[in-house]
Amino acid sequence: MLELVLLSLGVSCATGVVSLLCGKTPKAAKTVACVGGMGAAALSFAGGVGALLQTATYVSWLGPMPFTNFSLLLNPLAGLLIAVIAALAFVAWLYGLSYFDEYYDKGIGVIGLFMNLFIASMNLVILADNAFWFLVFFELMSLTSYVLVIIDQTEKSVRGGFLYLIMAHIGFLMIAISFFVMASAAGSLEFAAFRATAFAPALATVAFVLAFFGFGAKAGMVPFHSWLPQAHPAAPSNVSALMSGGMIKIGIFGICKVCFDLLGAAGGEIGWGVLVIVIGAVSSVLGVVYALGEHDLKSLLAYHSVENIGIILLGVGTGIFGWAAGLPWLAAIGLLAGLYHLVNHAMFKGLLFLGAGSVLHATGTRNMEVLGGLARLMPWTAVCFLVGSLAISAIPPLNGFVSEWFTYQGLIGAAMEGDIFLRIVFAFAVVALAITGALAVTCFVKAFGVTFLAKPRSEAAERACEVPTPMVTAMVVLTVACVVLGLGAAWIAPVIESIGASMLAAPALPVAEGVTLVSLDTVSVVSPLILAVLMAAVIAVCALVRNVANAKAGMKADPKPWACGYEPDLSMETLASTVGANVKNFMGPLYAIRYGVNRAGQTMARLIGRAIDPEAESAAPAAAPAPKGASSRFDRDRVFGIAPAEKHAPALSNSVLSIVRDLGAWFGRMESGDYRTYIVYIVGALVFFLALIVLVR
Amino acid sequence: MSIVVALLQAVLLVALAPLVSGIARKIRAKMHAREGASALQDYYDLAKLWHRCEVREGGSGLVSRAMPPVFLGCFILIAAGLPLAMQACPIPILGDIITILYLMALPRFMFSLASIDSAGSYTAIGGIRELLVGVLVEPSLMLVLFVMAVAVGSTNVGIMANAVATLQAYPMVAVVVAAVACAMACYIEMGKLPFDLAEAEQEIQEGPLAAYSGPSLAMLKLGVSLKQLVVASLFVAIFVPFGAAAAAGPLDILIGFIVYLVKVLVVFLLASVIENSVMRVRYKLLGRYTWFVVGIASLSLVFLVIGI
Repeated sequence: MLELVLLSLGVSCATGVVSLLCGKTPKAAKTVACVGGMGAAALSFAGGVGALLQTATYVSWLGPMPFTNFSLLLNPLAGLLIAVIAALAFVAWLYGLSYFDEYYDKGIGVIGLFMNLFIASMNLVILADNAFWFLVFFELMSLTSYVLVIIDQTEKSVRGGFLYLIMAHIGFLMIAISFFVMASAAGSLEFAAFRATAFAPALATVAFVLAFFGFGAKAGMVPFHSWLPQAHPAAPSNVSALMSGGMIKIGIFGICKVCFDLLGAAGGEIGWGVLVIVIGAVSSVLGVVYALGEHDLKSLLAYHSVENIGIILLGVGTGIFGWAAGLPWLAAIGLLAGLYHLVNHAMFKGLLFLGAGSVLHATGTRNMEVLGGLARLMPWTAVCFLVGSLAISAIPPLNGFVSEWFTYQGLIGAAMEGDIFLRIVFAFAVVALAITGALAVTCFVKAFGVTFLAKPRSEAAERACEVPTPMVTAMVVLTVACVVLGLGAAWIAPVIESIGASMLAAPALPVAEGVTLVSLDTVSVVSPLILAVLMAAVIAVCALVRNVANAKAGMKADPKPWACGYEPDLSMETLASTVGANVKNFMGPLYAIRYGVNRAGQTMARLIGRAIDPEAESAAPAAAPAPKGASSRFDRDRVFGIAPAEKHAPALSNSVLSIVRDLGAWFGRMESGDYRTYIVYIVGALVFFLALIVLVR
Repeated sequence: MSIVVALLQAVLLVALAPLVSGIARKIRAKMHAREGASALQDYYDLAKLWHRCEVREGGSGLVSRAMPPVFLGCFILIAAGLPLAMQACPIPILGDIITILYLMALPRFMFSLASIDSAGSYTAIGGIRELLVGVLVEPSLMLVLFVMAVAVGSTNVGIMANAVATLQAYPMVAVVVAAVACAMACYIEMGKLPFDLAEAEQEIQEGPLAAYSGPSLAMLKLGVSLKQLVVASLFVAIFVPFGAAAAAGPLDILIGFIVYLVKVLVVFLLASVIENSVMRVRYKLLGRYTWFVVGIASLSLVFLVIGI
């Protein structure tokens, strides 16, 4: 199976280079990139799925230096990630066959190269079994995706990309330190050596926490989420799908790998699980709350990635807790929930981003306020987007429901075992998940309703027409995946459970019986398939009865809605801001947190800036003063933090940004441009190293 | 046997839903010192609407068309799965609290979507409002059910009912406080004063009904009544399961049904009395009241963790 994945990597690289060489003829470059990419994706999908049920494959080639042994490990967890990314990559390339037509003048050859390299580097990160190579490929993944984010070269995308680059490196730094902490104890950069070492608990905790926050920054969890809603929407839509559906899962993969695999010999701490669960709960609520404030369809979806990463973390956190507390069934069900949601989120978020891309393709805008009425004009896109919306809102019997069901069962089961403190933590998580679920429903009613229903509110929306066949096919493939992952859960859950069991080195837990899913610890069952049949039957009977009555009594159409006796016009339609304003009524404090955090971050950035260079004060970003008599509605919304994200300077990245800039300014002074200064530097360095040699001898 | 019970429950609840809302209206009229319409008035309304020509709004599409059957169908399904006559779920796969709560989200989703679909601002305000009531109530309901699940060791409603009926749900105080919180959450979810007036379509809560007519409206009105009954039944099923059949004998089940009807009638009676002795509050103040429910639900959690 490893051979298939390696072959696909070769195909990806070759395709990328050929597509770059064809850059002069955009059509050829696009076709080469997409067809080659699809081929590579098909190969790695086969390899990944094949690895799911097999024992791990390990290979290692000697490198030029002792720490650069090129080791690869394909175990079931890696297989799952590879299969998910391959599935997304396949539909992204398929979608690209038409979607990339818009990018002919933006260097399609370059897109082909970097997107192929991006996918290959994701696969290599998953496979790498040596800290050095892991970090190299991790960095490659960040850089290639950075290029894809700024491909539009608009002010927004460049800014989003830069923010992404900074956050990716903050994460990278933490992961690197974590690996070096482990390497210093294990005496090697090989993961195999980490695995065999039983680290001291304190050391293991330091390594875990660093890795958790480092990978969490990549996954986009709160408080490292600020880059995600700015970077993901800026990329071409199918790349957004790949990033939001696939790349952020590498963060989850990293957390699982470090915890269960690399630190496995040391055993976990209950506190790790609590940390992961609390951060997961906060991410899920804040993600969806901020999504509700967005008017931009793709930014809204990006915020939902923050939310769903939170839900995945709830599952994984339960798994870590169960593993550390010595409750194998709890560990198994938590990991099942987390990994299942990981797969599901990849599918429905990919689908929704492609749907948003189709809307963008057809109308040229992502602003929901000026869309509306697209369901009539783009029926395929509308149906696919509706299924995706239902799935992400965890409506039974679709896939989102199945994984959230397991998440709830895991959390409730954990609460039955825990002591006072843990019960409160799990209750907090359950309530957070319930709030998230209810808000997600609200948010997707808004996203789907305002974009696709009612009447078109602009000329662009009126002239929209259905997107070309490859794009529709790509969306339909993911829609089918969402349905199958829901209805077929009784057959898919045991496979995912076996991956969890392989990570825990525990016997498999029965999670399905016939067509029903079973949660042993909470004595409960559910069957998405039977539920679907029952729902379809009951609803069909109701519809039939109603239609018979209609047929008898007749039907008429009245073109105008009733507007309390007024003449209805388009300005009366519901907008995204209508929903946002209503939510703000009740969720005001949560938006106030955002404003407060941003202000605090800006103040911090200024202080750091002042500490480094007192004169650079004016260069540091000034905190937006709270407008006293906020004149416009937008100003008012900004005070409450409900206005779209890019109006805020994100706190963490800003402080880093100002440090980097001030350091740069400081180094800039060293480089006077006068060659005599450089000669002094060279002489100085020479003296320094000579002195060093003498001293060491 | 249990399939028959499930079918019976579904048919019975659908058949009784208009009667229950009719009785509630009658009680209100009496308390206002009016004569009021007959308790059967809702049946007359439905029959009349059923034979009316339906007028569809020109701008609305498939979502609006599909909403009434989906709305009614989901609540029928929930009604079939609850442990009403027996102390166990007639259809086990419908008896999980998570399944029930998320199955209730689908009608809400479609209801609000249809309200946006009709392109009128009035309907959409009602739809958004319905969503937000869900956002405010669902967390406390989930917290209550979490407390119950931990107390009885299962997320299955039938097992909860059985544990409460046999007084095996510990810690007792936590369960009683949870019952109070659940009653309040269900009361809000039922759409009664001081928050809403579910059966009045000129009210904003039922704004989306303004876009419907004829058989679709009849189906939707039936669905709204059934929703009230199902939400009340959920409370009765978990916290007042006394009298429901412990064994699966036909006679036990018959008695269970009768006892259930009495219980649910008492619940509606109490709800009507509360409804008619309070004033209407502004919708914007709803958040303050739900905080109160959250507080009581949290109190039950506190009792649970300290074990009294």
